[in-house]
Amino acid sequence: MSSEINELRDSARQVMDGSGLAAAENESWALLGELGWLMVSVPEEAGGLGMGLEAACALQIEMGRGLATAPYLSALMSIEAVSASGAASELLENLMAGADYVAASLADNAVQCSASGDGVTLSATLCAVPSADKASHILVSSDEVLALVPADSVTLTATATWDTTRRLFEVELEGVDVPASGVLARGADAEAIAAKLAVLRDFSLAADAAGGAAALLDVTVEYLQTRRQFGRPLALFQALKHRCADLKAQVVAAEALLLDNLGRLGGGNDALLAQAARELACTVYTGVGEESLQLHGGIGMTSEHVCHLFLKRAMLDEHLGAPVDSYPQALAAALLEASA
Amino acid sequence: MTQAQSTDTLRQEIRHWLADNVPSGWREAMTNVEQEAFAQAQRDWFRKLVDAGYATPHWPEGWHGGGRSLAEQKVIFEEVARADAPRLIMFFVSLYHAACTLFECGTQEQQDKYLPGIIEGQVWCQGFSEPNAGSDLASLKTRAERKGDRYVINGQKVWSTMAQYADRCLLLVRTDKSGPPQAGQTYLLLDMKAKGITVRPIHQITGDDEFSEVFFDDVEVPVEDRVGEEGNGWAVAQATLASERGLTLVELGQRMRYSLPMITAAMREAGREDDASLRHELGKLSARVDATCALADRYLMRRISGEEQVGDASIVKLYFAETLREFTRLGKRVAGLSGQYDRGFMRGATQETGNWMVDFMNSYNWSIAGGSNEIQRNIIAERMLGMPREPKTWKLEG
Ligand SMILES: Cc1cc2nc3c(=O)[nH]c(=O)nc-3n(C[C@H](O)[C@H](O)[C@H](O)COP(=O)(O)OP(=O)(O)OC[C@H]3O[C@@H](n4cnc5c(N)ncnc54)[C@H](O)[C@@H]3O)c2cc1C
Repeated sequence: MSSEINELRDSARQVMDGSGLAAAENESWALLGELGWLMVSVPEEAGGLGMGLEAACALQIEMGRGLATAPYLSALMSIEAVSASGAASELLENLMAGADYVAASLADNAVQCSASGDGVTLSATLCAVPSADKASHILVSSDEVLALVPADSVTLTATATWDTTRRLFEVELEGVDVPASGVLARGADAEAIAAKLAVLRDFSLAADAAGGAAALLDVTVEYLQTRRQFGRPLALFQALKHRCADLKAQVVAAEALLLDNLGRLGGGNDALLAQAARELACTVYTGVGEESLQLHGGIGMTSEHVCHLFLKRAMLDEHLGAPVDSYPQALAAALLEASA
Repeated sequence: MTQAQSTDTLRQEIRHWLADNVPSGWREAMTNVEQEAFAQAQRDWFRKLVDAGYATPHWPEGWHGGGRSLAEQKVIFEEVARADAPRLIMFFVSLYHAACTLFECGTQEQQDKYLPGIIEGQVWCQGFSEPNAGSDLASLKTRAERKGDRYVINGQKVWSTMAQYADRCLLLVRTDKSGPPQAGQTYLLLDMKAKGITVRPIHQITGDDEFSEVFFDDVEVPVEDRVGEEGNGWAVAQATLASERGLTLVELGQRMRYSLPMITAAMREAGREDDASLRHELGKLSARVDATCALADRYLMRRISGEEQVGDASIVKLYFAETLREFTRLGKRVAGLSGQYDRGFMRGATQETGNWMVDFMNSYNWSIAGGSNEIQRNIIAERMLGMPREPKTWKLEG
């Protein structure tokens, strides 16, 4: 990581620490715009900071640590889509400033698209769309089409998950007519952008997981140091120390793979790099989540304690993006193909 | 030339050299052969690498092949792995442990006396562990008594890799029992041909016998072969153990990555390339293998930039050892019953020979030797995570 990105990450850590765990969504959203975090990976020519996906991930590691509630990833995906398609710069400016929000789905969805006049007609059920009730538009992305659909032409259903740090919606499009002005890309262009969005999404999920896992492990080690049983701190018991050490090695490894793979982007295998990072980090995060709950004993089962917030976020992260089992399958398929 | 350019040039150079020089078919030639054939192949490969200047990049400037930066050394290790060249197992202690100890702690006379011999191909072994001093190395008991200008050694070492071929031994002995265990140790350079030494190879679970027991019966070592002061052996031993500076794990990580196709080949052979559950395991493993490489790489970079922290090395070693175990376990699973047939073993390879039971058994080298997984976990927990240390004393109750 360059020193520039390290600095960004340090300042993000301070900001996140200052606003506390799972700070209110509205306040943190305002902060995102103010701090310029929505524009870090937009190229300089398009008015962004041109710091690449590495910078966005550095921020997301810290947001993962702080259980950030603002829909940062969804916003980044829309910004990436608009900027990659070269659409109206005024919209891009508003999005980067946080003055406007276009919500994007964090799942893979089937989209039916047919031509109608200059525009298209779209039908789809988009899952896992964060904070869709705050959005002016919904981003619809598939291998055929990339479009912005006004929020008032879709049906939103809140789908509360166990993870209370994020608010997800299901978005129903029933034959929505989108004029040509709302179609950002079609055909091969749309497909290429969809692939880029998947890379952004998978790396971002890995970053959220890497940050969350590290933070939860810190919380757990600290708890074991303060909690006393049998006349000594629990942290003295080797059975528990070794579990923490294993988790530490896994957390460090997940972050190493994430940063290393980010550094390799642009070599023609971006999707695989993102999938590997996401596979390992999400596996590690849920693992740390499970172990941490056990290591906290009864207190971990109480809703006042933060343990469950991380655990639930880890479990949700694992099911965002492509289906969880498709990641190892994709990695294996690539290996088999390369050695065919 | 910038640093990146000079490592790129070196990379091209060594890549060409390896393409021309790695003995073709060495794996087959090392399978089911007597140890002497292996030793000879090691000597030949050593000679080639030394002559080309690739065996001693970590030696100081002025020595044959020496004066390479850590970044350049890394390139050499990476390329050796990439070319699937044999590892210099028989000479690792001489080139790394012995040489680095001499450079760091030896006198000029000792350096002049021993380093040329190392380049000529002397084999060294390491005599630290004892039957009752393994993880707790500090408790070692092999005695050295000063008599005039000699030390007289009595006791026993164990697990000494390649001791049966060694000309010399890095020997850690006790010269004083009165203080705390780390004090009172002394570091000697022992002539393995000296009178009173008995070496007994140990038969391993794989059929190989890579290490030996070494017994000492009034063995004499001249005082001038002591490294550092009497009683300062523990500190010298730390220099020995730190000598390869993470390079081995860079190499081994890469070797594991390049060996992933052995698992896909085994899947095809078993007609199970479409088996979703094997694919699942393979995908998960491949992410871990990549992470192992990323960890080793970043660790070495931190060493180069001086940012290394206590425990970093433990994380890399622990993660490697666990991933290697998984790697061999998956290979074994894919091979099924045929993986259980005893087809002998290959000498001098690492843990990726595709003879999966042997590879699996050999993966324990990395979770036991050089600080076991449990010892690494202690270090990570106590020195990185700041969890309290074990109480030093222990009493039998009642
Ligand atoms: C392939 C191989 C090559 C070797 N080569 C050499 C060599 O060339 N020269 C040399 O001097 N030595 C060599 N060794 C020895 C090696 O350094 C020791 O085996 C190692 O230090 C472990 O010691 P031990 O075998 O006595 O196991 P022990 O220390 O008896 O350990 C037994 C078990 O207890 C665990 N354990 C021990 N202490 C603790 C603790 N505090 N907390 C929790 N668990 C603990 C260990 O992890 C292990 O699982 C080699 C070993 C192997 C396997």
